[in-house]
Amino acid sequence: MPVTIESRRFGRLELPDTQVVDVPHGLVGLPGTRYAFVPTDAGSPFWWLQSAEDPDLALPVCDPFQFFPDFALELSDDATAEAGLPEDGAGVQVWVTVRASGELQDFAANLRGPIVVVDGTAHQVVNEAPGADVRAPLFA
Amino acid sequence: MLQITRRAGERIVLDGGISIVVLDVTGGQVKVGVDAPRSVRVYRGEIWDAIEAENRAAVADAPDALPAMPPREQPADG
Repeated sequence: MPVTIESRRFGRLELPDTQVVDVPHGLVGLPGTRYAFVPTDAGSPFWWLQSAEDPDLALPVCDPFQFFPDFALELSDDATAEAGLPEDGAGVQVWVTVRASGELQDFAANLRGPIVVVDGTAHQVVNEAPGADVRAPLFA
Repeated sequence: MLQITRRAGERIVLDGGISIVVLDVTGGQVKVGVDAPRSVRVYRGEIWDAIEAENRAAVADAPDALPAMPPREQPADG
């Protein structure tokens, strides 16, 4: 079933419901509990996480493993349980938010607060892995 | 802000089944235990602040369009 979402950047979007997620606790400091993953051009590593409730609210995200081969995700037992993640990580998608201001070499990802998605539900969690940088350069 | 003085071993109880216990006070450090239902998320303040700041900056700094550039090729081993 396609889902219709209004977006300032993209106008009216018809997205497969597999790209729309519930975010029961929201993203830290941002409003809303329902977001959609919107792809950018083919070949781009970036996606938009577009609020399904606020057309103006969208932030870039990417797959951390694509940029940081050594990326590790370590969650507390409570965070794992609360996010409903299986112990073996099967079926879990991991995204990180991107600050995409200025030049490419200024782009940075937040490896400390990744967004984990399983079964259509997303949680922003605290990554306890040592060295998980809040502002890790993507192209530097 | 409500201010309450506590000694080691004493606790504060919040509505909703949340207890905050002062476990130990040594030098300038206070060790605190939080007993809360699983649905209550507990963060260190500075980590919460950092993630919140990055989320807001990601929204505020986002351009109208993202570059279509693929990630750099990873150098082959050896």
